[in-house]
Formats: sequence, C-alpha cells, structure tokens
Amino acid sequence: MYTIIHAMLGYFFLLLIVRVLSRRPGGQLTLFEFVIVFLMGGIIILSTVGDDRSETNCTCAIITIAMMHQIVAWLKGRFPRFGAVVDGTPLVLLKDGEWQNEAMHGMRIDPEDVMAAARGVGLKSLTQIRYAVLERNGAISIIPQKK
Amino acid sequence: MTKPPATTPVQDSVSKVNDEIAVGEDLKFQRKWWRFERIIWVLFAIIVALDLSGAFGRGYLANSRMRASDHTMDVKYEHIERFSTSSILKIRFGPAAIHDGKIKLYVSQSFVSELGNRRIIPQPESSEVAASGIVYTFPANSYKASVAFALQPSRPGLFPIALQVLPGGEQLRSKVFVMP
Repeated sequence: MYTIIHAMLGYFFLLLIVRVLSRRPGGQLTLFEFVIVFLMGGIIILSTVGDDRSETNCTCAIITIAMMHQIVAWLKGRFPRFGAVVDGTPLVLLKDGEWQNEAMHGMRIDPEDVMAAARGVGLKSLTQIRYAVLERNGAISIIPQKK
Repeated sequence: MTKPPATTPVQDSVSKVNDEIAVGEDLKFQRKWWRFERIIWVLFAIIVALDLSGAFGRGYLANSRMRASDHTMDVKYEHIERFSTSSILKIRFGPAAIHDGKIKLYVSQSFVSELGNRRIIPQPESSEVAASGIVYTFPANSYKASVAFALQPSRPGLFPIALQVLPGGEQLRSKVFVMP
C-alpha cells in the first residue's frame, strides 16, 4: 500500500519539480540538466520502493506510475486548462525582429538558444527569424523572415 | 456494412499572433504561472531551511531530553523521527535506579510496535511483558550505567512513549512524531 501512495506522491512531486524548473527538456537537454534528471530519479526511487525490493513491489510501483501517467494524459485531453498547467502553453520569444523580453526572462532562455534552433533550420543570423516560438515540449520553432 | 471512422471538421481554433501564425499563446495564464513558480521557490527555500534546522527530524530541533526529578534517569532522544530511519534513544541511569545490582526499566509498547525497537545495547538480562509495555532487567554495578535503544519507526504518526525505572521511579512521558 505504501509503495502505491509513495509512487503517486513521487509522480506528482516530480511533475511539479520538472514543471517549475525552466522548460528545456527533450531536445534541448544539456549535460547540466541531465545531472538533475538522473539525480532526482535516483532519489525518488529510494522512497518509492523503500526497503522492499521484491518483484511484487516494483511491479506495483511501475503499474501505479503508468496509471498516473495515463490519468494525467486523459485529464490533459479532457480539460485544456489542466493541460496548460502540466505542459504550459507555447510562448513567442521573438516577433518581427523584437525579443519578447517577458517570455525570454520568464523562461530563462538566452538568444544563443534561439540561434541554435535557427541554425537547425538553416538560418545564419537572428535577423533572418520572423518568429521564434517556445513550444510546450521545450523545443524552439523558427519561422524565417519572408524573402 | 462497416461504420465509417468518426471525423471532425478542422476549425481555426488555435489563437494567432499578429493574426498570422497560430501559436496558442496564453500570456495571461503564463503570468499567473510565473507568480505561482515564485511562491513555490520560496516554499522550497523554507522547506530546506526547516530541514537544515532539524524540524523534519535528524537535526538540532529534533533532539530532545527528559530527566526524572528523582534522578533515576536522563533520556536523550529524537522527538521527531523519520519513517524507517534508524535513531538512538539513550538512557543514562542515576544511582537511585540501581536496586540489588540490577536496573528494571519499563518501556511502553510503542517502543516495540510503532517505533520499531531493533536492538538494545547492552542486551537485557531478561524481559517481561507488563501492562501496555515491557520491563527489561539489566545487571548494573555503576551509577553511570547507560542503555541505548536502536529504533527504526515502522509507520508515520504521533506516538506516545513512557519510561520508568521500577520500582517506584518517576514515569517519564513524551510523544514522538514520525515523519513520513
């Protein structure tokens, strides 16, 4: 029973931590952020399984986490506002040659991060970007200036 | 006849920037979220400060001490424990605790059940079941005798503890909170 409660609490706690950390997972995961992901995962497992290392316990913990994930995914689809809380919303970082300072500072994103995404689509300079959008998955989408 | 797959016509429902690009940005929500994040970080800082001070166990604020006014014993323990985490409760006996070269110590049942007594150092000579507790007998020839209980709480919660030197010593009572 404790494992299931701990797994549920651990899931929501990690969700909160990852959410309040800057949104740069997935494609833009740096070595610095890898440290956080592995360390937090390692620590949370200790309280989740405790000193019960049986297959029964680990199986129950994995099933619980899978179910939590499924429930959260369903709630996200059912209630868009809940989806915004869990995943955030896209944010415009650069618009018509102007940095959107509130979004850049709020999300702790540097122009270098935007330029890295721009290079990915073959652009050579920030001035060639018409829009840069920080997506919900942490990736930065680039829309080039019209030619 | 097989039922055709369900379809929904596409609508331009995602909000646009400059009336040009569909992004779905919600700056109003985002501002609320940034405010929430600031509160969370302050809360996290408070939690870390409380943990450093021992408010969640294993630190300065968690340590406690009780002394019997009849000088039979002096108990050092942690009144904030952590679930499934080892700790030591140490009892130092005074000369009034020794009768015929022995010390008889009564401890409440919570020591064994909720606080998970794992080991007693030194091992008692004998143990007897008493009313809602256990009586341990230790051989003693020095008034500086001390006994340690290695505890490992089996569940979270608030549990009363009681200790008494028999016969007739003052009963010390306290409560131990076990953090989840």
